Amino acid sequence: MKDNLRLTDVSTVEGQMVSIDLKEIPELAVDMHTMPWKPFTDEQKENTACILDEVSVLNIPKPKSREEEEELVNKFLSGMRKLFTKENNWTFLPMLETSMDYCAQCNSCSEACHLYEMSGENEMYRPNFRSEIFRRIYKQYVKKEPLAKWRYGDMDLNWKTVARLGELAYRCNLCRRCAQTCPIGVDNGLLAREIRKLFSQEMGIYPRELHERGTMNHMKAGSSTGMTPEVVKENVEFIDEDYTEITGVGIHTPFDVQGADIMLLHNAGEIMAWPENIASFSLIFQEAGLSWTLSSKALAYDGVNYGVFYDDAQTARIALQHMMAAKELGVKKIVIGECGHAHKALTVIADRVIPFEYQVPRESCYVTLRDIVMSGRLKLDPSRNNFPVTLHDPCNVVRLMGIVEPQREIIRKIAPQFREMPHHGVDNYCCGGGSGFAIMTRNNIEQWRGNISGRKKMWQIAEAFKDCLGPETRKYICAPCSNCKGQIREILEHNDLYTKNNFAYGGLVELIVNAMTNVEPGFIKFEGEEGAED
Amino acid sequence: MTILFYILGYLAVAGFICMAYLKIRSYMAASPLHVRWELYPVPHEGSKTVYGGSFMEEKDWWTQPRHISHWGDIKALLTEVLFLHATFEHNIKLWVRSYPFHVGMYMLMGGTIIVLCAAFAQLFGLNPQGGLMLFVGNVINAMVLVGTLCIIIGGIGLIERRRNDDGLRRYSTPEHYFNLVIFIVFGLLGLAAWAFSPSYFELARTFIYNLITLNFAPQTSMLFSLHLLVGFFLLIWIPMTHMGHVFMKYFTYHDIRWGDEPTSYSEKNKQKILEALKFNVTWSAKHISGDGAPKSWVDVATTNPTEKKED
Repeated sequence: MKDNLRLTDVSTVEGQMVSIDLKEIPELAVDMHTMPWKPFTDEQKENTACILDEVSVLNIPKPKSREEEEELVNKFLSGMRKLFTKENNWTFLPMLETSMDYCAQCNSCSEACHLYEMSGENEMYRPNFRSEIFRRIYKQYVKKEPLAKWRYGDMDLNWKTVARLGELAYRCNLCRRCAQTCPIGVDNGLLAREIRKLFSQEMGIYPRELHERGTMNHMKAGSSTGMTPEVVKENVEFIDEDYTEITGVGIHTPFDVQGADIMLLHNAGEIMAWPENIASFSLIFQEAGLSWTLSSKALAYDGVNYGVFYDDAQTARIALQHMMAAKELGVKKIVIGECGHAHKALTVIADRVIPFEYQVPRESCYVTLRDIVMSGRLKLDPSRNNFPVTLHDPCNVVRLMGIVEPQREIIRKIAPQFREMPHHGVDNYCCGGGSGFAIMTRNNIEQWRGNISGRKKMWQIAEAFKDCLGPETRKYICAPCSNCKGQIREILEHNDLYTKNNFAYGGLVELIVNAMTNVEPGFIKFEGEEGAED
Repeated sequence: MTILFYILGYLAVAGFICMAYLKIRSYMAASPLHVRWELYPVPHEGSKTVYGGSFMEEKDWWTQPRHISHWGDIKALLTEVLFLHATFEHNIKLWVRSYPFHVGMYMLMGGTIIVLCAAFAQLFGLNPQGGLMLFVGNVINAMVLVGTLCIIIGGIGLIERRRNDDGLRRYSTPEHYFNLVIFIVFGLLGLAAWAFSPSYFELARTFIYNLITLNFAPQTSMLFSLHLLVGFFLLIWIPMTHMGHVFMKYFTYHDIRWGDEPTSYSEKNKQKILEALKFNVTWSAKHISGDGAPKSWVDVATTNPTEKKED
């Protein structure tokens, strides 16, 4: 299919448009299986527009009549018109318009995309594929430019075009590596996000993990995890107790300390999935003698902001509540924990969305930690980390914020066998779970992450450790971002790479705690050697 | 007919300026203040630029004075414009065709500016047959030869690439080919005018001199006239197409990719945020439109869509 795929196929092909042949997917040095696609059920095919490929993220209901088809198209066009108005899209309109008008169709962006490469260079995964469909629709049906078909190419607009374009917006990790390569400054990642916005903000179509279970749950319960303030405080208290026992150091995590210097903003997913991360932060901040606190105010104990992946209104609402909580506590700054998109949402995006009088300065935890580690406030023994360590660069923090060196300064100081991945720093590749995919598991999304989106990262990891692959040597993948960790965990678990390769993964703070001399040795667990470690 | 030719010349220059102005104005009017959407490396970060670092790597960065290396921005832009650095790095097969094409255009554009200066020099009394003018003429004639050849070779190369590369072919529209053909014709006519006239420079300087002195003398070379006519068309056509990146690239780089100014350093931006938040929002999805009452961005951002209304 890939050799014949044309842009206009989105509006003409009946049924599933693209099939990704698993045999086309590149093999890696580590034993990483491809995961067979599960076929859609007859019921899904009957009721859902699963007509792009083997994956369905949006579950757009299949129109049952001509009227429903027209309604879908008209809603889409209405949203597209609004997307190009200053009032509705002042936040992104200049970037949107330049990316619509000045692309030279040179395809320089294709080679930069991990999805294009790891799908076996499937045409659908060219970063420009969805953008070009979007452009043609805009020029022909919204802007109605003279000679649009001749100038920009024809594109029939029907319900299939709309449904497939919506899905196509979710075949992108929004890592913006493609934008980095564009000679003109066109941003296909931005266009994917703008399409997501159009679907969410006008049509009410979004992935349920990002919306109902994500931003809406965040605003309803206080956290996208569903944890209420009481539950969070209880859980953190348990974490303190557990890790006091594990580390041999009394840990106390403060909540709601009025006038503290720092409000630490964790991704609440850490509390449930990686309590060692929460404990490590508490231990480090406590031992460094910082004046700090967590907030137990609804929304403010969860730094995630899934709005940045699909919806500007949700982004603004959550960012505002984060700022307000910090204002109420009277802290001097917010330090953002190990969560990449929380970094970008609150530091960069919110900077020109939230009125300045409501803003509280934000700092990356990498910077705060660098200051602690380099100032000598902790007693650290690098020999405790004497195993190969590599560092994953979360796109949101590194390519999109330019925070590159602080985390490296720390690792160079505490991990004698640190080695970079190929394409590190701002040239990094997405973990494969970026833009919300790390929290989605249905309709072949986990297969997609394993087969395509997460594959390049595993190639990088395998290359970084190529001299010590296998079960003999313990190896640590430092991924200081919650969603990235989730993605890496899944790949390691699914392919049994813990035992086959003796990998452990975790954040930066765990590596620091592992080197602290007043902590019981062996804080980081290598599951491949669990017996030996215990 | 001769006057019409000159009028077309004026219109072409005015058309280019107007179209470029409209495009830039439209960009500026699109938003009082867009969000920060920077992409690293940002070249004005001084020593951090080498590895893509930013001011956000510093502890309490908002308390530090803001340092911007303007020279870094200029250097990066010059490297990009003069050498097409991004294409060289990421698409070398295209670069070997695109680079001569662009160099050809730079030669002719640069040549035009030099000829314009020569025409003004003549106006202010410099002897058109003098040694300096002769030297400039030789330089221009050489530039035109190289420039037109580059445009022709690069243009043909780009068409060949678009035709034969499986990926590019799918994204190439009739307009892409039309644009390249027009440039090739422009180059061919320029080359022919250069080959069949004693001095291309003389033709060009005389035309521009006549243009600025309103002396509508007939053209002496049909080939040069045709070359100019195609050039007039290109002047108006370029800003209307994706080739407008010739001036819009300034904004996509400086304002977007490198636009990293934090609000804490800009009183102007603090005000602009407040202005923008007053805009009315008409998005229809339930979580934004709510009860359907008109609302601004402030209303939207301060509403929790999961809260039930208490009547």
